[in-house]
Amino acid sequence: MPASQDALWYKDAVIYQVHVRTFYDSNGDGIGDFRGLAQKLDYLQDLGVTAIWLMPFFPSPLRDDGYDIADYRTVHPSYGTLDDFKLFLEAAHQRNIKVIIELVLNHTSDQHAWFQESRKSKDNPKRDWYVWSDTDTRYKGTRIIFIDTEMSNWAWDPVSKEYYWHRFFSHQPDLNYDNPALREEMWDVTKFWLDMGVDAFRLDAVPYLVEREGTNCENLPETHAVIKDLRKRMDEHYPERMLLAEANQWPSDLRPYFGDGDEFNMAFHFPLMPRMFMGLKLEDRKPITEILQQTPAIPESCQWCIFLRNHDELTLEMVTDMERDYMYDEYAKDKSMRLNLGIRRRLAPLLDNDRRRIELMNGMLMSLPGTPIVYYGDEIGMGDNVNLGDRNGVRTPMQWDGGWNGGFSSADPEMVYSPLMLNPVYGFQALNVQSQKRFDHSLLSWMKRLIKVRKSTPVFGRGSIEFLYPANHRVLAYVRQLGRETVLIVNNLSSSAQAVELDLKRYKGNVLIEMFGRNLFPRIGDLPYLLTMGPYEFFWFRLRRI
Amino acid sequence: MVEESILTDDFLRELINVGEVDLLVGLDTFNDAKTVGNVMQAVRAGLLRYFPRLRTVVVNADGGSRDGTQELVRAASISDMRHVSNLSSLRTLHCISTQYSRESSGGGLHTILAAADLLRASSLVVISPESTNMEPEWVERLVRPVAKENYDLITPIYRRHKFDALLVRTLLYPMTRAMYGKRLREPIPTDFAFSGRLATQFLAQEPTPSDVGRMGAELQLSLSAMSGDFRVGQSFLGTRERIEHGAAELVPAMRRTVGVLFASLENFAVWSAVKESQPVPTIGVEHEVNLEPLRVNRKRLHQMFATGVAELDPVLRSILYDTTLAELKALALQPEEEFVFPNELWATTVYEFAASHHQAVISRDHVIQALAPLYRGKALAFVLENRDASGVEIEKNVEAICLSFESLKPYLLEMWETGK
Repeated sequence: MPASQDALWYKDAVIYQVHVRTFYDSNGDGIGDFRGLAQKLDYLQDLGVTAIWLMPFFPSPLRDDGYDIADYRTVHPSYGTLDDFKLFLEAAHQRNIKVIIELVLNHTSDQHAWFQESRKSKDNPKRDWYVWSDTDTRYKGTRIIFIDTEMSNWAWDPVSKEYYWHRFFSHQPDLNYDNPALREEMWDVTKFWLDMGVDAFRLDAVPYLVEREGTNCENLPETHAVIKDLRKRMDEHYPERMLLAEANQWPSDLRPYFGDGDEFNMAFHFPLMPRMFMGLKLEDRKPITEILQQTPAIPESCQWCIFLRNHDELTLEMVTDMERDYMYDEYAKDKSMRLNLGIRRRLAPLLDNDRRRIELMNGMLMSLPGTPIVYYGDEIGMGDNVNLGDRNGVRTPMQWDGGWNGGFSSADPEMVYSPLMLNPVYGFQALNVQSQKRFDHSLLSWMKRLIKVRKSTPVFGRGSIEFLYPANHRVLAYVRQLGRETVLIVNNLSSSAQAVELDLKRYKGNVLIEMFGRNLFPRIGDLPYLLTMGPYEFFWFRLRRI
Repeated sequence: MVEESILTDDFLRELINVGEVDLLVGLDTFNDAKTVGNVMQAVRAGLLRYFPRLRTVVVNADGGSRDGTQELVRAASISDMRHVSNLSSLRTLHCISTQYSRESSGGGLHTILAAADLLRASSLVVISPESTNMEPEWVERLVRPVAKENYDLITPIYRRHKFDALLVRTLLYPMTRAMYGKRLREPIPTDFAFSGRLATQFLAQEPTPSDVGRMGAELQLSLSAMSGDFRVGQSFLGTRERIEHGAAELVPAMRRTVGVLFASLENFAVWSAVKESQPVPTIGVEHEVNLEPLRVNRKRLHQMFATGVAELDPVLRSILYDTTLAELKALALQPEEEFVFPNELWATTVYEFAASHHQAVISRDHVIQALAPLYRGKALAFVLENRDASGVEIEKNVEAICLSFESLKPYLLEMWETGK
């Protein structure tokens, strides 16, 4: 049963992204599990998040961190049992925390029973559940996504002596959505989890569901038809659930995924994220305002998901070559940090562990239009380890305290699924939840306050946005409005103090109330409103006519 | 007494909003509406193409245009430029504009320098609003040596018509070279780049007397660079279209150039110590000369020379030595088609004028005015000498003028100390 009756709950949500493996190990085997996660729900409730997005926890050979699924209907034994999951789900709902799980529609692991069947022979009933070809020349020109590791979108299967299509790793064959039986099966999978009470699904890699010759095999009408059908069925039988699209595309290409409010409820705004980092480094609001100006309007019931970091590399697919070069030069001077047209670093190291910049970026995350996602560990400023290969450097164990294995697990350190961070700056001994809970000035305490203030008004989740364009380009200022509630947000993107004059004439007569301290600022008059701001400072002001 | 600022409150507010920059592009305009739009587009395209990461601002100092020049500068964008499609900028491109009084000391360049000082610009480039055939590459060729290679001043080299910029070729280049030891082909550049370091030092210098100070700031800047501890170079830009100047424009031009050059000689210690000239690093291809045929009114030039020599006799007597004046009078009697103005005589004449300017034997402005017809004679001689010359021959002839100025420098030194 969903915890809230509000159908648009996702618009007001603050989502916490976590992999169960990384969070807390309850049974001492070195791997986080659902019982452990359930034990840490109080922490998450205290943080203030209202939804948890769980990365894939299904049985899997784990060659792509669980996105290579071998069984859709149970839990990987390393993380517990299906019952453990159900207990966790119930505990989350008791705390009014929604649960979002992955639904990897596009592909399975090559170890999945379906694929094992499909490859057995060309006559197998499940043959057509995947995309096979006797040549590797079909769908020519389709881009390769994992350019660092894959040479082709086709892989030769020595068992059935044909090629199979894979948009990701070669061990992740694509499912064939032209097959009605496969589509029914995937609905059945979805229903399985919906019946259990899961609130939402993040649909991985949705642009690539369907292929057609002569196209780039992305964002095809047939793909949208698959999603619409899924949504229709879900709405009919499971109202107030939510579908979140993972589609790394330009905003204009993403817009169709919302349909007329009958496709995805939410979609990640991928292009915004690198531009936030770019704007900060350039000390110029231009990249941020431009991408948001180019973002099309979406149906009233729909919502963007915005984020700073996640489990993947900081993707630079949706930027120009010049912008990518700039980002590499500024944020990934060490080439080992670069992967697949992206940067595999966590938030704090990207920002040189500068508390002010971390706060500013989180402030923008919580105030720009969309539902914000906090990646686990970023609330305490965890670091990364690029030497762990692939994107594992940003998936290290959660750091709970300065003790044994950072409080993550009682197992021998050698058994922990990943080495913990050890260096003097980001190491668990110094940087952990327990030590940060003790101090009001810690990043964790600050994040709690930030989330609380964000949740204090629906304007952040549901309001409109209008950019102000003060002459000082180092300042990003915008007004959020919902009904009679108006909030002014002003961000200094610069490393030095700035003065800014804001044209607030239309709000003349309003008093500004700073939302964190609730102090009054001068009334808006006829003249431009002058603010002076320290380096990387930001303000949230509620406007009140008193 | 509080000095009046050359920066208005509005302009200062705009500067505050721009903040610190890496590169400042200066545009000194006055009624340039016909040409400034294209220049601005080329500038912006150059910035986007070659310096997309630099924090830049275009500062337009306008001398009170009434033809919409300032509005055109503000509004210029690259969207209309066909050959710069696919350009986008990482950063906000700033363009601010202010007016200055043409009576003020230093004029537009001082406003630009003041802005650069406040914005802590590490590199500056000044572009002429009349550079109608400017390409975006000019920005790169001027700025890169300053921004990336530690040059303090980069002046341009153009592919000019052989009869263009004769005042530069026959007087300013040879004399600047002889006085300050640097072979800068365009000592009075209109398109040039310089470092923030040079700008700061130049601004800190004692202001020149107002009758000179409001003119020729570009030349003053070049001379500062040549005479100081600054790295100087020149960069080949491309073809510069010939701009027709009316006869009446010569004297004002000479005031801004020759007058400033003569005035700079008051800093005796600087130029007197220079014994010989050295080439400066030249970036880019060697320049060529445009040899297209061009009608020059030689008869008029000859007439103006001869009339000048005759009618200014009393003035010239107070400026020149008798022997020099006698030679000039003999020249004035030469028929036009046989007219030859030897380089040594020309250099001697110029130096005697310079010495008289120093001694202020008459009003210094009158000294400059009196030189104008004599320059016309030299210009005529240059045209005649080079009418069928190749580019190489023209260069040789210009070099010969330079060598005359260099070899006769001791004469100037002697006159300077002893007086006429």
